[in-house]
Amino acid sequence: MSAVISVSELNERAKAVISADASLNDVWVSGEISNLTKQSSGHYYFTLKDTKSEIRCTLFRGARNSLQFEPSESMKVAAFGSVDLYVVRGSYQFNVATMRRSGVGDLYLALEELKKKLKAEGLFDEERKRAIPKYPMTVGVVTSPTGAAIHDIIKVAGKRFPANILLAPVLVQGDGAAASICKGIELLNNYGADVLIVGRGGGSAEDLWAFNEEAVARAISSSKIPVISAVGHETDFTVADLVADVRAATPSAAAEIALPDISSEMRNIGNVMMRASGSLMYCISVMQNDFRILDSKLSPRRAKEKVDAELRNVNDMSKRSSFALRSVIGSKTGSFVTADAKLSPRRAKSIVDQYVLALDDISSSADASLLRLMSGKMKDTISAEQRMNAIDPMKVLERGYSFVTDDKGKALTSVSQISRGSDVEIRMKDGSAKAKVNEVKGK
Amino acid sequence: MSKDDGKDGNKDVKEMTFEESLKALEELVDMLENGGLDLDKSLDIYENAVKLRDHCRDILEKSERRVQKIMETSEGIKKEDIQ
Repeated sequence: MSAVISVSELNERAKAVISADASLNDVWVSGEISNLTKQSSGHYYFTLKDTKSEIRCTLFRGARNSLQFEPSESMKVAAFGSVDLYVVRGSYQFNVATMRRSGVGDLYLALEELKKKLKAEGLFDEERKRAIPKYPMTVGVVTSPTGAAIHDIIKVAGKRFPANILLAPVLVQGDGAAASICKGIELLNNYGADVLIVGRGGGSAEDLWAFNEEAVARAISSSKIPVISAVGHETDFTVADLVADVRAATPSAAAEIALPDISSEMRNIGNVMMRASGSLMYCISVMQNDFRILDSKLSPRRAKEKVDAELRNVNDMSKRSSFALRSVIGSKTGSFVTADAKLSPRRAKSIVDQYVLALDDISSSADASLLRLMSGKMKDTISAEQRMNAIDPMKVLERGYSFVTDDKGKALTSVSQISRGSDVEIRMKDGSAKAKVNEVKGK
Repeated sequence: MSKDDGKDGNKDVKEMTFEESLKALEELVDMLENGGLDLDKSLDIYENAVKLRDHCRDILEKSERRVQKIMETSEGIKKEDIQ
């Protein structure tokens, strides 16, 4: 035995049943608008009907304001919303949340379904996205051979990291476009590219529709090569965009993603070489100390040669050193020239010996200041190229240093590596000399 | 000595791709930075680094860019230059 209930109670119960039923909520309904009334409050009421049936609909002001079009009598639409029961009248109605014009509406309906399906399959998952290779040899492009997209891509690629462009010409709109795009993707998968750009220039929603088709989405997701989508579309993402490994807003942007910028690559190489130079410079400065020790032990017989070399050395350095240093060297050089002119050859040797000592001092302070200058410059803005030249090992030889190797060409950096009577080779900037060791002394 | 002479020993520098060269260059620089090498070895490594750098630059500055289209015809796959 059921209790007797009021009309209101009955309608409330019916309302509760309707609003709890998923099949009556958040559904798309297609039909034609009739009996449209526009209230001064901003709400619209109308009937949505097809050939066999009809339902009263409410379109509240908020929902109406967000529509892209103005509803009118006899218009075919797809309306999205939920069934509700108006308790006061015991009538049921459809509350419209949004609407699209029909045709378009049907397509969007199918699109939403497709997106839901592909998403459920995991095709949009971030984990599926593959990394784009950084330095591709060949960029495959799937687009129209006559469209703006391929032109834009070729233009941008001409200024980026050098790679070949391989175009698979396809139809991008109209009948057969989706199948054609799929074939292009497959062709490039079989015949070699490191990354694919799939897309077209901007157009209306209808023009871009091929990129919303399931076949294209499946072709992109099963491509063995990473795919950049480039469907010229600012706002809505196409299904191709959602499935692709990377989405670019335009074909030009896709080319920029596929190919790195040349000048930043140049900078990177410069930075790597700067690290190499720094390490080598350290190694050489250690060697320079060893050379100086050897220098001081040179025989007097070679003093004149050495003075000449040092003079060249000092002249060379004075160009690069500070003004103060230059003036010191200038005055020393000047007085050497004057003195030299006045000296008899007989006395030259002792004077020369004095200069050797003086110039040794100057050259070692010049060396030290040069090294400071160079290491200071390392942090400055001079190019990596200049830095490299400054510490180029050959330049060290040009500055009058030589290095000694054994007869197998291995550098000798310690007296412990030399024994009396052994053959050594002295390498200088312009050649080498073979020598026999007369004596070995430790420090 | 010669065993760890840098990865470029396996392949002629001119034949290397940009990516391979850059990787080899970075490996050489790592070796230099780790130190403990004699001058000979350091100079060798540096010389190889310069070769690799020059090769990288050549690729960036002088590489040709081919622009082709690929088509499936009755006689099979055909590639032809565009423009």
